[in-house]
Amino acid sequence: MNDAIIEIRELTKTFGATRALDGFDLSVAEGEVHGFLGPNGAGKSTTIRVLLGLLRKDAGEVRLLGGDPWSHAPELHRRLAYVPGEVNLWPNLTGGQVIDILGRLRGGLDEKRRQELIARFELDPTKKGRSYSKGNRQKVALVAALAADVDLLLLDEPTSGLDPIMDSVFREYVERFRDQGGTVLLSSHILAEVERLCDRVSIIRAGRRVESGSLAELRHLTRTSVVAELARPPAGLAEISGVHDLDVEGTRVAFEVDTPRLDAAVGVLHRAGIRTMTATPPTLEELFLRHYGDDLSAGEGSPETEETA
Amino acid sequence: MTGLGRLTRFSLRRSRILIGAWTAVLTLFVYTSAAATDSLYKTPADQISAAESINTSSALVALYGPILDVTSLGELAMTKTTVTYAVLVMALAIALVRRHTRVEEESGRAELIGGLAVDPRAPLVSAVLVGALTSLLIAVLAAVADIAGGLPVAGSVWFAGSWLGVGLVGTGVGALCAQLSPNARTCGAVAAGVVAVLYAMRALGDTTSAHWLSWLSPFGWSTQLRAWSDPRGWVLLLDLLLAVALSAVALGLRARRDLGAGLFPERPGPAVGSPRLADALALNLKVHATSLVVWTVACAVLGALMAAIVPSIGSILDSAGTRDLMERIGGVGALQETLVAALVSVAAIIVSCFAASVVGHGGGEENDGRTEEVLATATERSTTFLAVALLALGGVAWLLVVTGAAMAVGAVGAAVSAGQVLAAALVQIPAVWVVAALALLALSWHSRWAVAGWGLIVAFFLVGPLAELLQLPGWVAGLSPYSHVPKVPADPVSVGPLLGLTAAAAVVVATAWWRYRERDIG
Ligand SMILES: Nc1ncnc2c1ncn2[C@@H]1O[C@H](COP(=O)(O)OP(=O)(O)OP(=O)(O)O)[C@@H](O)[C@H]1O
Ligand SMILES: [Mg+2]
Repeated sequence: MNDAIIEIRELTKTFGATRALDGFDLSVAEGEVHGFLGPNGAGKSTTIRVLLGLLRKDAGEVRLLGGDPWSHAPELHRRLAYVPGEVNLWPNLTGGQVIDILGRLRGGLDEKRRQELIARFELDPTKKGRSYSKGNRQKVALVAALAADVDLLLLDEPTSGLDPIMDSVFREYVERFRDQGGTVLLSSHILAEVERLCDRVSIIRAGRRVESGSLAELRHLTRTSVVAELARPPAGLAEISGVHDLDVEGTRVAFEVDTPRLDAAVGVLHRAGIRTMTATPPTLEELFLRHYGDDLSAGEGSPETEETA
Repeated sequence: MTGLGRLTRFSLRRSRILIGAWTAVLTLFVYTSAAATDSLYKTPADQISAAESINTSSALVALYGPILDVTSLGELAMTKTTVTYAVLVMALAIALVRRHTRVEEESGRAELIGGLAVDPRAPLVSAVLVGALTSLLIAVLAAVADIAGGLPVAGSVWFAGSWLGVGLVGTGVGALCAQLSPNARTCGAVAAGVVAVLYAMRALGDTTSAHWLSWLSPFGWSTQLRAWSDPRGWVLLLDLLLAVALSAVALGLRARRDLGAGLFPERPGPAVGSPRLADALALNLKVHATSLVVWTVACAVLGALMAAIVPSIGSILDSAGTRDLMERIGGVGALQETLVAALVSVAAIIVSCFAASVVGHGGGEENDGRTEEVLATATERSTTFLAVALLALGGVAWLLVVTGAAMAVGAVGAAVSAGQVLAAALVQIPAVWVVAALALLALSWHSRWAVAGWGLIVAFFLVGPLAELLQLPGWVAGLSPYSHVPKVPADPVSVGPLLGLTAAAAVVVATAWWRYRERDIG
């Protein structure tokens, strides 16, 4: 892929005995907002630190904006801005000072946008580092990042301390950034945010990619739950592969079905005469609970393996 | 007080390595001092003349305090420990209290504790208990070490009492200083300043006619206790009263302020960064600006105060006996030169602490993720390394220049010229650079080793006297970079060792630089 802004293949990173990344793959195309999801300790922050050239990879290929993030960090960093998961400010510098110095260290920032962001985020730039609340510390880092003229934003759980109103301001600016051709890698635990913002999503677990694709594709790979009232008891529903948790009580049926097998399942219902039916597509929550909750040995059940099988 | 017992046990457990290591080193030092002294002097006359020669040297009196009873073996054996090494006892007490109060508040961990069923006063009271218990532990072990080393039991116990007293005062100083600023480093710096002033007051009082100054300092009390002959037990009450008063004031201040806050509310600052704040070097300089100013003023004041002893040396030793002795060892001029050399060697150790604090802070910046924020911009690794290295290396050079200049001013009227005094301070720079370079190497190895600089300073400070007492081979004492500095102005400036030290520092800094560029950040 030529237009890949981030291209990671088989990335491995260990800390002593801990394998934080274990053959991890990730590809982020130009102009997309890419959601980066995974349970605590899965390796999201580690991936971002490798992308920033802060951590040295043990094995694998990493390309960022067409360069090697370890050996060309300063040049590449002119074209990106980073918001860490936990923002620590200098205790004796004000928020305004921090925004300006980070901007200058990056090679300049848009003065007009800086003013605008400070106003929109309702940030008091005259407070000293330690007197900011958690959310306000995060806003300082967000203003510094969003006011920069860059091609790529690396955001590690950037909104974990923001209130809902500030959250929507954040979304607005990320969308604007994307509309102007920017690329975003957004690690987050807030599924609603991912759902609204992201074009594509990668899920990491225990240092490996377990899923990647657009939300529509991911939905397609999971189960739809179906509840129906039929004219007659259905015949042969249990035989259809991909039907789970089947519960038949006379003419009332409830089950879950892998989305690719939905058509076959509904076919059986149709032959039994559908009176009423609701089919609920999987919520994002369910999607992620499946990936977060399973232990890895139960991976056979994952849609990806089933599809290739 | 709810939670006090648990908190205290928890703190003691968390600091067990610090307490254990420090206590072991001090006990070992006391034991070797006690055991070695007896064999050093063959006759009582030898012993007395050794004690008298210490008393005639203002340099040694300024460093160690006087020997009040020249016939006492115990007092001679404990010359260095009574005052000089008691500084380490006080420093440990301060470090412990600060660690379990302000450092916890600054890191936010204190909030975790504050949310539990714990009395709000308990953290401070518990930290004071930790300081007091540790002082007691050191005192008991010091008494045992002295007795095991063959010194009289009563004197050993009184001497240990003086250490306990100093430790308790340190606990109180630590508790009070920890209330002042939301910044743990500022609190530490204020406490260190208090120790330096107390030490300097005693040095002035012991070596000039203003003896009352010694009575204003707990270090002076340790000598005036006269542990080894005719002890004045009530002097220990002074320590106790002062410690209780300081702790009580600290508790009062604590009750009046919010968790994590300083005495004064935080004032708003500029809404924009000045254009000069444009690179990592400027940023680091800005972060350390207050500390640098405080250090500069402290070095100037202490340098002038300490050097003020120098001109008066001739007069206070103006008795027939001592004049005779003085002429034999080279006259007033030679005496003053030795004193200057001794004072600058102390200054070198104090100034090294600035380097340790800058490098240790660099490690803290990395642990807290601020180095990461800087390196995520277009800043090179080399720049963040240099920001720390240049401040540490340049800072100590600047501080020694200031110290030297202030001492030259303070010593006006002495037989030693201003140029000689300044030179004496400047030749210390390469040795301090070696210490700073080693601390940088530790930081470059891993951010969590960044505080190693403090340990190095203590180790280099102790290795010479320990090697002498244990009669270890010469190269052991030579491990300390301070031991290679020519004793200017008593000795001439010899270029060889200075170049050697500078080259060693350069090699170590280069290694540190290389390593810093290769390793993981965070
Ligand atoms: N510097 C380090 N030293 C040792 N282990 C580390 C280090 N950094 C990360 N790890 C380990 O690597 C693994 C991945 O951590 P990482 O911070 O990347 O997780 P994460 O996906 O960002 O989690 P979260 O959602 O909680 O932020 C964890 O097991 C963590 O303990
Ligand atoms: Mg993380």
